[in-house]
Amino acid sequence: MSSAANLERLYDEHAQALFAFVLNLLRQEADTRDVLQELFVKVARNPPLLQGVKDERGFLLRLAHNLAIDLMRRRAARDRNYEQLAADNGALFAATDDPDEEVFAGRLAEALGELPPEQRAVVHLKLWERLTFEQIAATLDISPNTAASRYRYAIDKLRARLRLLYDEIK
Amino acid sequence: MNFDFEEYLRRQSIRPVPAQWRGEILRAARAQPVASPWWREWLWPSPRAWAGLAAAWGVILLLTVTAPDERAAGGRGATSARQAFAMLQEETEIIAQLSVSEESRPAPPPQPAAPQPRSSRRLRQSVG
Repeated sequence: MSSAANLERLYDEHAQALFAFVLNLLRQEADTRDVLQELFVKVARNPPLLQGVKDERGFLLRLAHNLAIDLMRRRAARDRNYEQLAADNGALFAATDDPDEEVFAGRLAEALGELPPEQRAVVHLKLWERLTFEQIAATLDISPNTAASRYRYAIDKLRARLRLLYDEIK
Repeated sequence: MNFDFEEYLRRQSIRPVPAQWRGEILRAARAQPVASPWWREWLWPSPRAWAGLAAAWGVILLLTVTAPDERAAGGRGATSARQAFAMLQEETEIIAQLSVSEESRPAPPPQPAAPQPRSSRRLRQSVG
């Protein structure tokens, strides 16, 4: 397979997951696009980067995470407060016809934005990527125990924040 | 409750990646030149010089390999070292003999006293 075709395949297979993960971390569509572009440029410039990688998705998520963290540090040091931006809630979830779901999605996005980025990353990978704690640990370069505890803390916060609305909808 | 809650969260679907990004991102990625290996970048500024150096090393290596057996050269070296050692011993002995003969030689007689100044001579004559 040519490198151009391989790049297209990588994009088609993983771009959605990478987009969701980075958007959840950064909460800014423009920054998310920058990170995605930087990631694919990196892969295009170094075709051997993915040679011998067993878990492509995991590898790319790890790369995206590192690039997103770098961007957050650069921007935070300069002129933006990313925690504030995260709490401001960029459009994270897909629109739905159900008004209850729409409200819940909005509240969930806000609540996720209030979590520290490291907890948000674990929650995202666990809930929406369905990774195990071992896989999350490998992706984020932390121990499985740390991943599990971050997840527990985050879920407890989300539950406390969304309990009333959740009970109402259910 | 906790499991249901997590499943409910999981059901919230994150919005899709904007469709136009695919073309833009892939175009930007394809426009990048493929990075060459570090060693090629390192050698690139003067490939002829590096090739010349490599050829010189090749010649040196060839000469080393085709040179006569080292053991024979080692034997010759050992012979010349023995000769040098013998010469050194001889020289040491000569120096030792010279220093001995130097010590046994009688001390030279004392030098006559230096002439007195003229004024002193005159004084002695007048007193005498």
